[in-house]
Amino acid sequence: MAPVADIPSSPSIPIAESNLQPFFILHKASPRKPAAKTRRKIDLSPRTADGSTEEHIDNLRFETFKFLSSNTESVIKDVLKNLNVNVFDEIDKWVHISFDAIRACKTLDSASSTRPYPILDNASIAVPGASRQIFTGLLFTKNMEFVDDILTFSDLGEHLKSRGCYVANFSSLDFSAKNGVGGCLKTLLRQFLMVDIDAPEMSILASWYTEKGNNENPLVLIIEDVERCYGPVLNDFIIMLREWVIKIPIILILGVATTVDSLRSTLTSNGFLYLSVCEFTLGTPAERMDAVIEAVLLKRCQRFSVGKQVSTFLRNYFLRHDGTLTLFLRALKIAMVQHVCAAPFLRCTFRKLVDEDFDDNSILLTETFLKQARDIPSFQRYCQRSANSANWANGLSDMKRLRKLWSSTVMCLYEVGKYRKTTLLDLYCEVLEPGPDNSNSPDHMQLPKHNTMSLHNHDSIGCPKKEGYVGWAIQRVRDLPVVELCKLLNRWEMLTRGIKEIHEKVKELHSLTTFEANHPKLDQTETPRRQAAARNKVNEKTDKATVNEKVATFLQCIVGEYIQPIESIPFNEIVFFDDAEKLQTALIGDPRRRIQVDLLESNKFLKCSCCSKNSGMPVPSMHNTSIMYSLAQEHGDLINLHEWYHSFKSIVTGTRVQVQKPKKRLKSSPSPSPKKPKDSNEQTKNRSDADIQAEFCRAVIELQMTGLLRMPSKRRPDYVQRVAFGL
Amino acid sequence: MESNDVEDEEFGFSRNYFLAKELCGSGKKSARKLSEIGVVDEQELRDAYTKIESKHEKEIGDLVSSYRKSYSEWAFVLRCGFGLLMYGFGSKKALIEDFASTALTDYSVIVINGYLQSVNLKQVAVTLAELLWEQLKMHRKSTSESQPKSQQPFLTRSMDDLISFLDGPHLEDDECFVCVLVNNIDGPGLRDSETQQYLSRLAACSHIRMVASIDHVNAPLLWDKKMVHTQFNWYWYHVPTYAPYKVEGTFFPLILAHSGSAQSVKTASIVLQSLTPNAQSVFKVLAEHQIAHSEEEGMPFNNLYTICRERFLVSSQITLNAHLTEFKDHELVKTRRNADGEDCLYVPLTSEALQKLVQEITQ
Repeated sequence: MAPVADIPSSPSIPIAESNLQPFFILHKASPRKPAAKTRRKIDLSPRTADGSTEEHIDNLRFETFKFLSSNTESVIKDVLKNLNVNVFDEIDKWVHISFDAIRACKTLDSASSTRPYPILDNASIAVPGASRQIFTGLLFTKNMEFVDDILTFSDLGEHLKSRGCYVANFSSLDFSAKNGVGGCLKTLLRQFLMVDIDAPEMSILASWYTEKGNNENPLVLIIEDVERCYGPVLNDFIIMLREWVIKIPIILILGVATTVDSLRSTLTSNGFLYLSVCEFTLGTPAERMDAVIEAVLLKRCQRFSVGKQVSTFLRNYFLRHDGTLTLFLRALKIAMVQHVCAAPFLRCTFRKLVDEDFDDNSILLTETFLKQARDIPSFQRYCQRSANSANWANGLSDMKRLRKLWSSTVMCLYEVGKYRKTTLLDLYCEVLEPGPDNSNSPDHMQLPKHNTMSLHNHDSIGCPKKEGYVGWAIQRVRDLPVVELCKLLNRWEMLTRGIKEIHEKVKELHSLTTFEANHPKLDQTETPRRQAAARNKVNEKTDKATVNEKVATFLQCIVGEYIQPIESIPFNEIVFFDDAEKLQTALIGDPRRRIQVDLLESNKFLKCSCCSKNSGMPVPSMHNTSIMYSLAQEHGDLINLHEWYHSFKSIVTGTRVQVQKPKKRLKSSPSPSPKKPKDSNEQTKNRSDADIQAEFCRAVIELQMTGLLRMPSKRRPDYVQRVAFGL
Repeated sequence: MESNDVEDEEFGFSRNYFLAKELCGSGKKSARKLSEIGVVDEQELRDAYTKIESKHEKEIGDLVSSYRKSYSEWAFVLRCGFGLLMYGFGSKKALIEDFASTALTDYSVIVINGYLQSVNLKQVAVTLAELLWEQLKMHRKSTSESQPKSQQPFLTRSMDDLISFLDGPHLEDDECFVCVLVNNIDGPGLRDSETQQYLSRLAACSHIRMVASIDHVNAPLLWDKKMVHTQFNWYWYHVPTYAPYKVEGTFFPLILAHSGSAQSVKTASIVLQSLTPNAQSVFKVLAEHQIAHSEEEGMPFNNLYTICRERFLVSSQITLNAHLTEFKDHELVKTRRNADGEDCLYVPLTSEALQKLVQEITQ
């Protein structure tokens, strides 16, 4: 790219005619340099500061991004697929049973297969009622955010295809009023026959189906979001399918976000009667979210993870605004881009290091690399702490080890949290928070014990937040019955497999509790007596307490040891991204507020010396639209054009003496209204009315384009209407 | 703490709104008329409008150039599969076109001007497909892959076909793409939901990358979550330029120009020129009738149909209706009742303006 210095002040492109063409080709692709993509090896030798270095860095960054994102994407895809796999299998089974049922009817009526299509002959009409219904699976998504289920339905399609079904996927857009049944049929044929047909007919599908031995397999139609379909079209479509249901064994699967009632109201009663319904249910969005977080942020945490700021921002945004998993995943991807962009060499080199398959040690020892490694603050700290054994390799393996321990500890805590339905995202945010409870200070180990009494209360009202999640979890472990404790340890054992620091101890504790749990005979025989004489309980309680106490102490220990602040982990800069503000601006944007701020504080962006003198008060040198919008703030929801024009005129000519309109300002900063005509000499002269009026007109147009104004209506020809109130 | 902030903010909104309402109530008493301003002659106003000197030209230039150092980041984000959405006050047309000519030279770039009244997306898709085809051919030559079979010309294909071509896996290398720059994706020509659906489907294609600009504060309302998160996949950039909306504002009426005839003729002729020749002729029939019978309420539908049929402009009432719907959508034609209770069609322009318009489209 060209260096920043040689900028033509006005870009060279604008060509008058092209501005009025609906579209035009700006330029065609120049032949690609073949070097750009073939370079795969990481080369850190210093290069001359020309374009090729930049391109090289760019390619490295891109590779890193692709590595991170494709990895995460496939992980997420697998996680979601696995979550649904049971439901999918169920559906598949049902599809084949339904198909067999349809075929059973068809054999009754062997004569009709030789007859020309399309007819619904008497024989098939005579078939008993049930078989003339369309087998329909209702898949309840339990989620109004249909965007999260797009992938689910395409996965379902793939799943069924792999089991030998022909599948067509529809969205609600296909069932719009404009498309009509013809449009639906066209999409249907397009997906099954892979051709576009101008005059779509069911008979075409029928002949395709009987041809070339297709008729061994069911045809499945998946409609993603039935609630959003246009009812009459869907109804007609179903009636049409039903006429053919014997000859073309079509099976419907409808995605339903709410309840079956919504489908009843979408279809006519007749249409609904044609469906023979079977119901399936997907997992809840919260389950999915937890599974994704576990897979992405905890299990694969050695590559990329988000810090406290970002995770808290995401959690809040997820809860308050856009509770879709899709947003969350997009945010992760954007975070990756920003992470990769932030310091090119660093990330690009190190991503290889955090890659498990990495084995090429030679490049690591280059001078550039070592220099970079030394510059990383967390690595410097690490060196200071462990002076003799500090080298990059140890630091790196330490980082990997610590991250693994950290995430398995979090998972153990999460298992306890399941007793009160804590979501993993909440837990993740809280654990990252360097609160008194989670910090590594020695005295926090004592804390839960002191609070034994009060924690009961906290538990009952379900609000142990103040004590910290960890305190609650430890107390919860203390209170667990032996059987539950045994289950918990069993899950911990699975979770910590492969991490010997924790796993051994968990196994030990597990065998201890299993032993306890396996001696219930004693308990059972004692039960009546225990109920009779409550005093004996004390002894048992102490027995139970010792095991529980051991597990609780163990949990305390691992939390104290492994849940450390991120900053103390060497090379954490490589793995963690934590710039919430940057992420937010790229992810969401905020045109409504930002465009108003642009107008009200234009001098901040333009960085001119002339306008900044008067804080918040319009001055003649300001951008016209800025002046106009600042003036508009002084008006109510209707702005009298006449008054507005005159205030504008008085500003630009520098003769504004007093704002005529009320002193009540909507903005908190009061306007220092009485303005002396400052440097009016240059401004006032030679400014004809026509110029000012033209400027006024342009400013109104510009405000209209930004949507901050509504134009005069017939009823109120002298007023424009304000649209935004406050930022 | 945080939840308090949110509540405060929400409270602030409503309070501001009611304060504003209150102000308006008291303001009405002193209502002054727009006509009291003493507006200069329309022609003079228009002349002055074209010659407005912009303030802070140097600072605006500096600001716009300061974005240049972000070009490489933008290109990178685009390469990563995101769409760029530029917002902030000021025309961003020059900025994004400069960006494309500087940093996107490796890819073909097509520009859509959404600020125009109508944009034919089918044509855009055809052009995109042709560009991609060329690019693929070029690529295959350089990597000596086998040439694909010749195919049906893009012009005759359906939109769905074009989209699946643009989305198709043609190369393992997923970096062969065509860039679409959309000036004012929230502009009048693209604002309807069907167009936005098509745009989002285009943006989701694997061989398409999109860079768009918005100016309207409520532009995000055009998209649902599916479009935003999975299709457009926007990466937002706040890039105020303060550059005047010269081209984008062409089609807005000047608030102080009363008749607005000159403006309407200009916009009307641009709209008409984007229509088919037959549609133009139908409009001419109507316009000529109105010029000849300026005292009448308008032209009854049946008369128009008869004449159009005689001249072989339409074959059925349905086609005529289709043309009329198009005219009505662009406010080129309106209906009103005449004395006999018949619905009459008329062009809401003065006779002079109409004559000028007919001249312009005849050229």
